[in-house]
Amino acid sequence: MAAYHVVLVHFPIALWMTATLAIVWRALSDGPLAKAVDRALVPLLTLGLIAGLVAYAVGTQVWSWETVSSTPLGRNHLLLATRWIQGEAVWDGVMRWIMAGLAILGSVLLGITGTLGGHLVGIYTQVSDALRPLGWEVYTTFYVPTSTLMVIGAVTVLMIGLGLWGRMRRSTGAPS
Amino acid sequence: MRRLQLLYVVLALFLGALGVSWVTHGTGIVRNDPDRHIAIPTPLTMPLQVKAAYNDQDIFFRYRWPSARPGIHHDVLVFQGGKWVVRGEAAAGSEPNGLAEDRVAMMLDDGGVPEFGRYGGYITVGDGITTFSQSADAKAVRAHPDLGQRMKQVEVSKYLPATRRVVGDWSALVSESELAAQRKAGYFLDLWHWRAHRSNPLNISDDQNIGAARLGDAGRSSYSTNWDREAKQPKLMLDPARAGRKGLRWDDIVQGRLGFGDIYYLRADQAVPFDPKAGWAEGDTLPRRILTPADGSRGDIAVSGEGRWKDGYWDVILQRRLDTGHPLDDKILRDQGAYQVAFSVHRNAQQERWHYVSLPFSLGLGRPSEIVAAKFTGAAPDWRQAWTDVTLFYPGQVSWPLLNSKKHAGATSIDKGVPVKYRHSESQLAHYGVEAEFADAIRRQWLFTVFAGVLLIAGFGIALNLLAPKQGV
Repeated sequence: MAAYHVVLVHFPIALWMTATLAIVWRALSDGPLAKAVDRALVPLLTLGLIAGLVAYAVGTQVWSWETVSSTPLGRNHLLLATRWIQGEAVWDGVMRWIMAGLAILGSVLLGITGTLGGHLVGIYTQVSDALRPLGWEVYTTFYVPTSTLMVIGAVTVLMIGLGLWGRMRRSTGAPS
Repeated sequence: MRRLQLLYVVLALFLGALGVSWVTHGTGIVRNDPDRHIAIPTPLTMPLQVKAAYNDQDIFFRYRWPSARPGIHHDVLVFQGGKWVVRGEAAAGSEPNGLAEDRVAMMLDDGGVPEFGRYGGYITVGDGITTFSQSADAKAVRAHPDLGQRMKQVEVSKYLPATRRVVGDWSALVSESELAAQRKAGYFLDLWHWRAHRSNPLNISDDQNIGAARLGDAGRSSYSTNWDREAKQPKLMLDPARAGRKGLRWDDIVQGRLGFGDIYYLRADQAVPFDPKAGWAEGDTLPRRILTPADGSRGDIAVSGEGRWKDGYWDVILQRRLDTGHPLDDKILRDQGAYQVAFSVHRNAQQERWHYVSLPFSLGLGRPSEIVAAKFTGAAPDWRQAWTDVTLFYPGQVSWPLLNSKKHAGATSIDKGVPVKYRHSESQLAHYGVEAEFADAIRRQWLFTVFAGVLLIAGFGIALNLLAPKQGV
């Protein structure tokens, strides 16, 4: 299944990268062309999400769960792929700079995901060397300690709480 | 607080959580744990330089590697509180008092063990091997009819895969006749094993082999234990007439005050029977190993010149007959022959599996290969050829059964005979080796991390959608 996974990942990569360019363009411009590109974003991201899920599903068949969850590179690849697909859901709205930032962050994660996938099938790039001085040895599993898990949990609850509070204030007519 | 300000707060929280994740990742699990026999050396890799040369009769290997200090001592007997106690017993990682000798070892094959040239020493790390977090029970090993009773093994040491009927079962030895046939067919590894304390003072290297276990070649070993079980005292002490003293001092040993010009070992020809009434004082110390020149096949390998540590480096030259006349113990070497070798080094008082190992290298006698043994005439090589640089790495707890299991993504590649060097670097393998020692804990924490990551992004997305205005911010 590795070969099919390699074929299939081209589609979400192409769609997501195109979407990233569109988002960055839209963030920088209010011109008619940028607005036209913006209208294509929803179908681009939708198709990208579908293609990504298909590629993800096929990717999980390359090795068994036991194998991929026992291998540092496999774990990192799966972790990044999971985060990246989930990250698509937040790409909505008109907060251009946040959108642009998320788009660029997503592209970087996508690039790293692809690099790790290349390592898994024996095709190496220098991207992993670039990550090393930034503090991540890709041959070790990316995991965070329990204290950080608790921080993430608290931040998640806090973010949603702030969102709900903001929504309630809006619905009660508080100044925005 | 306005909605825009809330949005910035949410963004800051999200980026902050990502930042904390990045800074703290990889912490909290990997640590030394003596109870599980885990002691991770730093650094994870080290260099070794190798040269080889041969004439019509002998082959020479020259090894050079860095070591902060010369580990010339091994376990000792110390006079404390009126009795002799052992110091320098096996410990995870480095022996705290430096009482574990430095070593360099080389496994050598002539193609009789086909997997060795592709996977090196990994094939010798089988199920139940000693000093792993989960190793075979010593009583079970001693009671085993072949391994314990016949071969006198007290632990599961290195062994070759085909000496067992089942890859993942240390006790499933093939029959004695099959083992003998394997040996005749060349299914064993030659093991050159230079020891800074137990062989170097005699200017020899231990000569061993690996088949059903790691065994000494036929003949007498260069070392035995300096302890009389019945009398509960050392067997020998230094001969004051020859050594100038009856024993050593503990402080001299642990403070590194003894050097190559001193007697720091117990050679049988410089010793006399132990005298309990010799006026022993607190801190008097005797080496726990009696050194006697090895004989037979066990004594085939000599040190050429002197194995010495100087300016932070060991420089050791080993010499052996191309044809030792012991084809069931040694790999016989020939002009223009092609062979495979792999190396290991113990330093910093590391013992047992806490060593650095190499991937397999090809060795050619006068023919192209990764290590080319240069042919020369005369008694000793001129060593003009360049060094071959070898990177050694800490292998962790990675066994051959694990590598052939579903837990290794490359198991199918091993099935296909893909060499380890094609897919892995030494640094990569060192990291994998460490992770293998914490496999379950890391896997669990990684799953939590995946879940937390998804949660964080979902939470951020929900917050954004709740705070986002319909048009413009």
